[in-house]
Amino acid sequence: MRIAWIGLLLALSLVPAAGAAGTAALRVVSTTTDLQSLVEAVGGERVAASAIVPPAQDPEEYQPRPQDLNRLRDAALVVRVGVDYDLWLDRLLAQGGDPALKRGGARYVDASFAIALLDVRGSAVGPGHPHGSGNPHYWLDPENAEIITGTLLEALARVDGGNVRYYERRRNAFLDKLKSRRQAWTRTLAPLQGVPLIAYHNNWAYFARRFRLNFAGYIEAKPGVPPSPAHLAGLLAAMRTQGIRIIVRQPYEPERDARFLAERTGARVVTLAASVGAVAQAENYLSLFDHNVTALANGYAGSP
Amino acid sequence: MNDAVALLWLPFAASIVLVGIHAYFGMRVIARGVIFVDLALAQIAALGATVAFMLGHAAQSQATLAWSLGFTLLAALLLASTRSLSARIPQEALIGVIYVVAAAASFLLVDKAPQGTEHIKQILTGNILTVGPGELLAMAPLYAGIGFLHWLTGVRSAGSASGRSGWAWDFFFFATFGVVVTSSVALAGVLLVFSFLIIPAAIGMLYAERPFVQLVIGWIAGTAASLAGLAASYAWDLPTGATMVCAFGIALACAGILRPLRRAPMAKLRAAASALRATFSLCLAASALWLALSPRADQPLLDSIESFAPALRASYLSANERTVYDEAELYSDRHRRQIERLNEMETASRWQGRALDDFEVRRISSFLQSYGEMRKGEEFVKREVRARARERRRWWLAAALIVLALLAYPEAALRARRLLRPRAQR
Repeated sequence: MRIAWIGLLLALSLVPAAGAAGTAALRVVSTTTDLQSLVEAVGGERVAASAIVPPAQDPEEYQPRPQDLNRLRDAALVVRVGVDYDLWLDRLLAQGGDPALKRGGARYVDASFAIALLDVRGSAVGPGHPHGSGNPHYWLDPENAEIITGTLLEALARVDGGNVRYYERRRNAFLDKLKSRRQAWTRTLAPLQGVPLIAYHNNWAYFARRFRLNFAGYIEAKPGVPPSPAHLAGLLAAMRTQGIRIIVRQPYEPERDARFLAERTGARVVTLAASVGAVAQAENYLSLFDHNVTALANGYAGSP
Repeated sequence: MNDAVALLWLPFAASIVLVGIHAYFGMRVIARGVIFVDLALAQIAALGATVAFMLGHAAQSQATLAWSLGFTLLAALLLASTRSLSARIPQEALIGVIYVVAAAASFLLVDKAPQGTEHIKQILTGNILTVGPGELLAMAPLYAGIGFLHWLTGVRSAGSASGRSGWAWDFFFFATFGVVVTSSVALAGVLLVFSFLIIPAAIGMLYAERPFVQLVIGWIAGTAASLAGLAASYAWDLPTGATMVCAFGIALACAGILRPLRRAPMAKLRAAASALRATFSLCLAASALWLALSPRADQPLLDSIESFAPALRASYLSANERTVYDEAELYSDRHRRQIERLNEMETASRWQGRALDDFEVRRISSFLQSYGEMRKGEEFVKREVRARARERRRWWLAAALIVLALLAYPEAALRARRLLRPRAQR
């Protein structure tokens, strides 16, 4: 009898914590800040979203930390970019041991589901890589946000069915806002349609497709391999003959190679963010596009 | 050609300046036995830049430069003060520790600061191809000044003095070296600076006794290797820094091979040629054995000969196999061209003509994947046909290789006969 009382007391003492966890937000862990922002857009205050990779770090080269295991432990959902972009997550999930969080589990979300991938090179489809390869920067097409948030809504409905209406309302509101902004972005970028640009690396395929931009060349054609003189000479010639006036780079890509080309051709270097948080102004999914669109349009307007 | 000159004269000028100061420091560094000190100092400078970034300074600001320099001087102080320990622990061990701790510490710092990785990268991964004229104009007088100071102070900075003045000269050496390395690594990258430092000095030391002659030989060798590396990088479309490092490595290897030829060159050349033939012959014989034992495995020698002379392959394939092989090659090539065409079409549609919808993009992707798989299938057919033919004809091929091996080094047969004869007489 006494033991039962003690048990009850203990249980009661735990209630505040457990109660907080019950009513408070669902913990959704995403690999990148972009997905975190989209989770927040759908989940609102019922979801506590966090990203594993800090903003402005290259997610492909991320080295997991011990705390990441803790972050994943009781996550209601884990959301990843997929397309071989965040492969390190598989090992983290394997160590965590929770089958529902693993590939194919009920609380595992691959945001690349149903996305029309670009730059698919038809390379090896080995075990554990069901997508083969493709360009993983698909969140940079605002149209794809509709698909991603759809996937997220479905996953949230699975783990928190009671609040489906709430999530659905928020998603629709977000998509409405996105739609009106998209029209503004398209208008702002209209003068750049077909204008040839150079980028440091091929991160902009989806962005280019949606806003009809022409990336005519890349400084680093193969990731991690610095450009050869012949490649640079080719770029310089292309910049002169096509009159290319803008070079796009990300904050974590080396500045000197872009500056080198800019100095020789009089082009401008425009720093764009491929991820939420990569520059201070891009604090969520919508302002990421606001920043990129404005920076690109200003760079074009101000270029010689 | 004009393109090449326009693009490469600045990197070449930068190489001359860098070889000029680094060959000198390289001789000192080798004499002191602190080979990897440049890596440690560069990493410390990167740590200083990271701290500056954490404090809110911009990447190329005066404050960042000051922080880098301050950290480098601290490291120089540490290196100068710990030389007395070198009787018990080699100084190289301490240098290694400085390197790894500085690298790890900057990772820890960057982890707390978004956008920080680029700072470490900007400091440690220069690219000599994209050196600007301003950088070169800032660097040349600085290096000239440091070189002049060292020339004035002569032997005292060479590290022979001991006691308190020895400590001061040590500090002077490491501090000036730190300044040089910090600026050069930001310009040319860690790997290339290490080559500039050690390889010309080593070549000079191979061929001369007097320091000044060593230095002149180092300068000439370094300049020649830089020129060769830059030219190769342009001609073969390769990343410049990596190509130059390999050119320096080859220069050192050549210098090492040619050194014994200074006296009695003809006899030594003959011996070297004989050794070379023996090695080649041994490779052929080993390849014959490997082919006979495991015909389906990779055959490095046979594969490379075949890639130069495809006729060899035709000689061991049957007529039927040859048809299959040629057809597979034809289709593989056709699929590759299809893949390229689809890719170009899709990329162009992003900005010109009618935009493709998601359905069409998916269809193109699935075609691309199918063509990729089909191409892999054809490549598999090629490999399989070749492997089967090799398996079937392995004894002939191995025998041919053995004959080639004997032709390359007939002495082997004579020696074998001499070894066998006494037994036969017994």
